[in-house]
Formats: sequence, C-alpha cells, structure tokens
Amino acid sequence: MKIVFVVAAALALALPAFLDGKQLGIYILAGLAAMVTVGLSLLMGHAGQISLGQASFYAIGAYTAGLLSVHDTPPVLALVAAPAVAATFAAVVGIGVLRLRGHYLAFATLAMQLILLSVLSQSAWAGGAIGLQGIPRFSIGGFELDEDIQYAYLTLAALAVVLLVAHNLVRSRPGRGLRALATSEVAAAASGVPVGRYRLAVFTLSAAFAGLAGGIYAFYLGYLGPGSFPVLLSIEYVVMAVVGGLGTLSGGVVGAVAIVLLVQVLNELGTSPGMPSYAPNVLSYAVYGLLLVVVVLWLPRGIVPALRRGERS
Amino acid sequence: MNDLPAYLVTGLGTGCGYALIGSGLVAVYRVTRVVNFAQGAFAVVGAMCASSFLTALPHGLAEPAAVVVAAIVGLLVGIVALATNPQSALIVTLGLSVFAYAVEVLVWGDQPRSFAGLPGAVTIGDARVQTHYLLIIAVTLPVFAALALFFTRTDTGKALTACASNPYAARVIGIDVRRMGLLAFMIGGALGGLAGVLVTPVQQITFDTDVALIVNGFAAAILGGLTRPAVTLVGGLLLGVTQALVAGYGNAAHQTDIALGLMIAVMIWRAARRPAVETV
Amino acid sequence: MIEVRDLVVRYGPATALDKVSLTVGAGEMVALVGPNGAGKSTMVNTLSGILKPAAGTVAVRGRLAHVPEGRQVFGDLTVEDNLRLGGRRYRERDTGPVHAILPRLAELRHRRAGTLSGGEQQMVAVGRALMSRPDVLAVDELSLGLAPIIVADLVRHLRELNATRGLAVLLIEQNARLALELCSRAYVLEAGRIVAEGPSEELARDDRVSVAYLGGSHE
Repeated sequence: MKIVFVVAAALALALPAFLDGKQLGIYILAGLAAMVTVGLSLLMGHAGQISLGQASFYAIGAYTAGLLSVHDTPPVLALVAAPAVAATFAAVVGIGVLRLRGHYLAFATLAMQLILLSVLSQSAWAGGAIGLQGIPRFSIGGFELDEDIQYAYLTLAALAVVLLVAHNLVRSRPGRGLRALATSEVAAAASGVPVGRYRLAVFTLSAAFAGLAGGIYAFYLGYLGPGSFPVLLSIEYVVMAVVGGLGTLSGGVVGAVAIVLLVQVLNELGTSPGMPSYAPNVLSYAVYGLLLVVVVLWLPRGIVPALRRGERS
Repeated sequence: MNDLPAYLVTGLGTGCGYALIGSGLVAVYRVTRVVNFAQGAFAVVGAMCASSFLTALPHGLAEPAAVVVAAIVGLLVGIVALATNPQSALIVTLGLSVFAYAVEVLVWGDQPRSFAGLPGAVTIGDARVQTHYLLIIAVTLPVFAALALFFTRTDTGKALTACASNPYAARVIGIDVRRMGLLAFMIGGALGGLAGVLVTPVQQITFDTDVALIVNGFAAAILGGLTRPAVTLVGGLLLGVTQALVAGYGNAAHQTDIALGLMIAVMIWRAARRPAVETV
Repeated sequence: MIEVRDLVVRYGPATALDKVSLTVGAGEMVALVGPNGAGKSTMVNTLSGILKPAAGTVAVRGRLAHVPEGRQVFGDLTVEDNLRLGGRRYRERDTGPVHAILPRLAELRHRRAGTLSGGEQQMVAVGRALMSRPDVLAVDELSLGLAPIIVADLVRHLRELNATRGLAVLLIEQNARLALELCSRAYVLEAGRIVAEGPSEELARDDRVSVAYLGGSHE
C-alpha cells in the first residue's frame, strides 16, 4: 500500500505541469473536494455521524477569506481565518447536537446550510444574491499567485496538510481506541475513550478542512455567490465519501477524484448535441442517487477498503 | 393586529403540511427505526402526479390517485431501504430522493408547478384568505385522528406498534416484521403524498422542494422524538404559525430561518436532557 | 413433538450449535440446561423459526410457542393487546381460555404492559404464548431475574398445563436445579454441543453435572 501512496503523491506533484487551464481547474476542484471529503469521511466513518451540510463550512471558509481580503486583510491571514471561523460554527452546532443520534446532526447541518444560504442571499455586506466580487489574488509576502498552476500547487499543499492532521487524529489515542472498539461506542465510552470529545474534534476538524478548501476556492475564483454552495454540493460530498470509503483517508481522496472526473464525463455527455438542456442535471442526479444506493447496499465500505480486501486475499 | 386571524389560518394550513410529512417520518421510524430522507420526495411526487392527473381526471379523483401513487413509491423506497440496517438506510433514502430528482425532471421538467385547489377566498378578521387553507386543515385533522385510531384500535395497527415496541418479540410471535416495515413505508408514502397534494395549490412545488419539506417535517417530528404522531401535529402547527407570523409581521424572507433555528434549538434542548452519549 | 437432528447453526464465522440432536415427545417436560453462551437461546430461536439452520433438520409437529428470554412484552400495549397479538399467527382471538388458566391476567387486562412487575410481565409472556393453543411450549430462562416465589407460581402453572392438557414443555434454564426438578428428562448443552442427556435423576447423580451445575459432588 505504501508504494501506491508514493506513486500517487509523485503523480499529483508532477501532473500540474502537463495540464492546460481547464484541466488545472478540474485538478484544483478535485483537490479542494478531497480536502472536504477527507473530513466528512472521518466524521461518517469514525464518529458515526452524517453531515448533510458540509458545503456550509466550505461556504463559510470561502466567504470569510473573501470578505476579509476584500477589506484589505493580508491574504495569508484571511486564509488562516477561513478554517478557524468554519470550525467555530461547527463547534457551536456540534456541542449541542453531537450527543444525539446520527440523524440529528444530519438535519441540523442541513438546516444550517439552508439558513446560511438564505442569510447570505439577503445580506448586503455579503453581496446578496449576486455575491462577492473582486476578491484579490492570493499572495504570500509580496509574491502574488496569478497562474492556475500556482493555485494547483497551493491546493496540493493544503491537501497534504489536511491529510497529515487527519492522520494524526486517527492515530491519536482516542482515535485508535474508537477504532479498536468500533463495534460498540458504549464499550468504548465505558473503557475511558472520550467518545463525545473525540466526536466533537472530528466534526470541528472536518469543518476546518472544508473551510480551508473554501478559502482557497475564494482566492482562486476571485468571486463568490450563494449559488455556488447549494445543498446538492453537500450531497455530492456525501457521495464522494461513501464511494471512496468511510473512515479511510485515502478513501476520501479517491472518492473526491473519482466523482469530480465522473461529473466531467457526465457534463460532456449531457451537453453533447441532441441532448435536452436539463440532461446534464438529470444525469448527475441519477448517477449520484444510484451510486449512493448501490455502494451502501453492495460495497458498504466503499472502493478503497474493497480494494484493500482484494489485495489481502 | 387584525391580520392576526388570517396569519393564523394560513400558518395552520402550511403547518398541517409539515405535520403530515412529519407523521410520515414518525410512521416509518417507529416501526423500522429508519429516518426516511425520501419523505419529502413523496410529497413532490404526489403533487406532480396530481398536477398531471388533473388534465384527465376531475378533482376528487385526481388527488386520491396521486396519493395512491405516492404510497406505491413509498413501498418501493421501503423495499430498497429495508435491505440494510437503519443507519445506512438514511443514506440509501437520501440516494433514492436524489434519484427521484432525475425522474421528476425527466417527467415534469425543472420548473415550479402548481394546480388549482379549492377556489375562492374567505374573509377572516380583516383579511382575505384562500379558502383552500381551510380545506387543508379540514382534511388533515381527521387524517390524524384516523391514524391514531388505526394504531391503537385495529389489529394491524397494534401489530405495527408491537414491531415498534419490541421487534424481537414481534418476530417470536410470528409477526412478519419486514412486511410491517413495508406497510409503514406505504403509510409514510401516502401521508407524504397527501401533504404534497394539499399544499401545492397554495405553494408552488419544484423537484427540489423536498429538502425544505423534509427539514420542516423533521422539525415537527423531533418535538415528539420521532415517535409520537400527536406531538408531531402540534409541532407542525406551531412551526407553520410561527413562520406565518414572522412573514406577516417581520421579514418574509426570514421565515424559514427562524423555523430552522427553532428546530436546532429544540434539538439542543433534547440533547441537554440526555447526558449520556447515545449509540446509534 | 420436536425432533432435532444434527442441527448446525452459525452466526457468521462462529458456530453456535454444532450437530445438536434432541427430542421432545408429546406431553413430556424436557429440560435444556447449560451455562451462559452455550447456545440455548440459539436453539429456541431456531425452533421458533427466527434463525435458519446451516445444516441438519428441525421437525416440529403441531404448534410451537416460544416464551422468549427476558420477558419481552410489548410495553406500549395493554395486557389484553399483548395476549391478542400472541394469537395473531393462528387467528386465535379469544383471550378467555388464557384468562381461565392465568386469572391474574384477566385482572390486569387494561394495564399497559410496561407498567407491570417482572413476574407479571413473565406471566403476560407465557399467556401470550398460550394464546396460540400450542402443543409444545419452549420457555427460555423462565426464572431469570425473578424472585423464587414468583418462579414457583409460574412453575406450578406449567405443571398444571402439562398434567391437565398434555402440553409438552421444553424448559431452557441456567438454573439446572429448577430444571431437573421440574422435568423428567434433560439435555446438557455446552459450547454448542450436547455433552450429556438422559433422565433427570440420572443426570443429577452424574458427577459432571452435579459439580458444574448443582453446586457440589454427589456422595
């Protein structure tokens, strides 16, 4: 498995040099989606909770970075603020709701996203329904990032940070404890694993990951609107997490990349001549829905664990 | 202040819709422990079917037919959802509701739809309110009463309650728990379809209206812990009235937010009452 | 009434019952004893059709009713509703005969089953099983968590039913003393296998059984 990881990392490092503008856009999108999905995958796999509003943290991160930098905050600070603010929101919602069963968080996060979208659409300071324009380019020190390939490497670097933090969380004592007693949270709690606090940590961290991704997204795109963060995006993240494999880090990355590529294919198909205007959407909905159902019923642990099992047998 | 009675009536009307969705959630959850995310989709399918049937059938036939279709959709969802454990079933029903989007857009397009309900308006207080709101209330209350009677007085209803109360004991005495689960999904489908059919004449519906419906339905249902239909009715009505009051006296654009904020508050209140970590 | 031959039942990779054979004849009272986790409940669950055999045969002649471990009443329903549900499988709706056997249940008719004491709930579970007019009753851990005096009362009813109506009983018990006193024949199940069987008096004298289950070696 180590070899696969090294090869993948090398590929990820080398790839941007060979991609054109549009393809770099896909690379960046995949990388950002992977950051969000890794956190969501941990939440669903380790904490047994479902978030149907993960895109809200993505949005919060994006708007935080965007608003701060539009108001002359140094981009690096704005980018650091993005995950922090997102994590704070998560903590507030999580403290209240994470002690309940998984479906409570699912609806709480969904409600949170609906509220967020509604508030953003109506707030003049956020640009309302039109959104935020003129977000400056990202810059470190005096060095400004104005080429797609630079954002690609920024995304890769951020993804590496996310994976590192996630890896440490999973290998931490509570993380290992929870995995060892994966069959029973009651047993885990009884033997001293701080289940509640671990869950909150995973949820907050997943929000931070999404927030960081959103921050980069804001700088890369240069403009933001509430329409970029629909509920369907949150569902997309769930599809990525489920397909890739819940609870595994590589599963989060694999799922995100797979779905982003799949969406490109579907878009090509859906916009080919002769297809009605609603074709791309219908195809996406059908595929997402089928993937969720099929993977949960037949590949309940997702692609990565299935491959690993195949490797071992 | 003389608009108040009108707001109350419209609020009760939309609240009935939420209560019906919520009671569909309750029916399914009590018996199968599954939180059925497709509950909102049942309403959308019911509404869309009604709008289509009304081109060929008269009022009074088209609507019940649509509810029957929704019940069948409920059964289909149940068949797929019950193939796995309750926690995974949430994701499965989520997947099915997204798949439903594809079907809905294919058949009915992606534009908002509505159809005529009970025509005319009545004067309540100082304002005019569409008569249809009264119809919604007039249909919903007996439906809830019938539901209560069904669960407590009929043999099948008691068997459903037994499955909810103790699934192992139910299997021991020979109740086909899976069959009961499918029946619960059918009831959920019918209730969702009824909600869609009743509410659409006063509120346009699109393929993605299901999200707003199910969030509000869930908000109504969690007041009763997802298991009590009577409390769900109260929750739904409270939600509807609150939204109407906020829309009337405050900012209409914030009505959903207030309602959802209330829901999160209720969740946190419930969480505070239970100190231990709940296992799923 | 019950004939089990070479029954194998598995939970995933684990074998809960390994080539178990036992019989219960008409009008017999037979005990199945053994420690926790031996597979006794698995046996009963297979008899009542909740679990499926991986191999071997299970033959039940007549109606079998299962009184599950841990009372398992429907707490939200009344005692009367609990009883009526017991007869649902065979469309037996009349609770009168069960009231005649267990008069206490008639008194408690309209009480919610969740509000009853442990002994009363056990009686409801037994009454619920009797509603299907069974030919053989499989009772899982009758005595667990109940005071001896209540157990004695329930045991008296079972004896009566066996004597007057020829009801066969398969008694699954951790309390071997009680089981061997009540039943004429017994099987001992350990780790999924029958390790001893025979008339109760003989088993009680068998050192293995008496040391392990009856608290002392027989002189």
